[in-house]
Amino acid sequence: MSVSTVLSSRVRLARNYSDLPFDLSERPDLAEDCLSRTAGALATSGADKGFLLHRMADLSEGRRAFLAESRLISGDLARAVQTGAVLLNERDGLSVMIGEEDHLRIQAIRPRMELAEAAGDCFRLEDALSKQVSFAFDPELGYLTACPTNTGTGLRASILVHLPMVSQQGKSGEVSEMAARLGLTIRGVFGKGRLALGDVYMVSNHVTLGRTEEELISAVLAVGRHLTDLEATLRETSRREERLTLENRVYRAWALLRSARTLSSNEFYNLWSSARLGLSLGWIEAEADTLDALLWDTLPQHLVAWRETALDEKKLNEARAECVLNALGKLF
Amino acid sequence: MICDECGQREATVTLTVVQGTERTLRNLCPECMRRMSNAKGMLSAIFAAAMANMAALAQQRPAETEVEESLEEEALPDKTCERCGMTYAAFKQSGRLGCPGCYEAFREELQPMLQQLHGRTQHAGRQPLQTEAARRTRSRQEELHRLMSEAVQREDFEQAAALRDELRAMAREAAE
Ligand SMILES: [Zn+2]
Ligand SMILES: [Zn+2]
Repeated sequence: MSVSTVLSSRVRLARNYSDLPFDLSERPDLAEDCLSRTAGALATSGADKGFLLHRMADLSEGRRAFLAESRLISGDLARAVQTGAVLLNERDGLSVMIGEEDHLRIQAIRPRMELAEAAGDCFRLEDALSKQVSFAFDPELGYLTACPTNTGTGLRASILVHLPMVSQQGKSGEVSEMAARLGLTIRGVFGKGRLALGDVYMVSNHVTLGRTEEELISAVLAVGRHLTDLEATLRETSRREERLTLENRVYRAWALLRSARTLSSNEFYNLWSSARLGLSLGWIEAEADTLDALLWDTLPQHLVAWRETALDEKKLNEARAECVLNALGKLF
Repeated sequence: MICDECGQREATVTLTVVQGTERTLRNLCPECMRRMSNAKGMLSAIFAAAMANMAALAQQRPAETEVEESLEEEALPDKTCERCGMTYAAFKQSGRLGCPGCYEAFREELQPMLQQLHGRTQHAGRQPLQTEAARRTRSRQEELHRLMSEAVQREDFEQAAALRDELRAMAREAAE
């Protein structure tokens, strides 16, 4: 396949200091200790290039929500207004969240299928930190975390994949079930509940103990690769057997995206998915990166940040359409 | 466990075979897995390959409902972590432990829960780099990981399994 159906990769490591309670939200003194140890260790190691320290308390609500929407910080951290902080390297997609559910959540986001590289980013950060500080570790249970679901490696690896044909043919249920047997979870990314708006799915490991980091990452990559293969096969069949239907879907969506003056998020995701499919099939002249960036740029907090003002539903839909027009060019 | 298909080689993968509404579990060796993948439907074939690659991750967890029930019927042990004061009952309620010391205080109780969550209870991943020996082990592990992914790439699953076993043995050794 010419254009990857894998949109992005993310790895995060949970780490805790052995001498502090996990929950620091009611203990600002200990939270401050946790923060200064971490920031101090990163600075001493010299690995702090490009990182800026932000206390949640110093960020506006909008900025916190924006960072959470970008996945650079977690929703939980954004809500830890009093005690949370983040060491952030926005350019390279690196964050060390401080005072989350665990003391530290070291995270790296990378484009496409660079999951192993993202893991490497996290390990480099961890190695730099652990030259100065030591993390709670048990020879039997590995790295100890606030919730037993993360114990062991403390590693969560995930990729985002675009699977329009897999979801159209209702295969995602079967796929999820099989992934579960591998200790993996597949779920939608955008929209609430069981929806997978834009046909974007996240594949991640839920098992963290008893496997090496490499095994966990390989499992996510293997399922990602095979989902991509399955999607490619379904696309090929559809291209052969229902070409007209497929063309109708792709070219209509492509025209609408470049014509609409207002777009609800539901409509946007539908059109986006069809256009992205067309791009992968080589039917549409556009950059994959441009189209993929729209998934994030059209989110509410991103639109608000762009417009620099609060937006109601109607204004959001107008801003979304304009954001799309700016990125893809007008048809009118 | 011996392969259900050939009855000769060691089975490394458990596969759910779906035929209509009927599901059967089959234990297969890498060789037969590859052969069956070619014959069966597309979806199962694709996942068969993924699962062969990842035999290491095949779950051996007990049926979840059973465990949940038995945990609920059991009276909660009256235990407290001395370091942070968290009681076991409070942990059961919130799902969050109080401090790293809680793992020691509730070790016995956590064991079945971890088994249920992860299918295993012995850590096999990275270790803190406290000693020179640990550092040497780390670089050997990295080497083995590299060889293992190369073996998987060229679909030499037996070699990959051997390397995986060596890695496991190292992890166990390091843990002792
Ligand atoms: Zn066999
Ligand atoms: Zn405790």
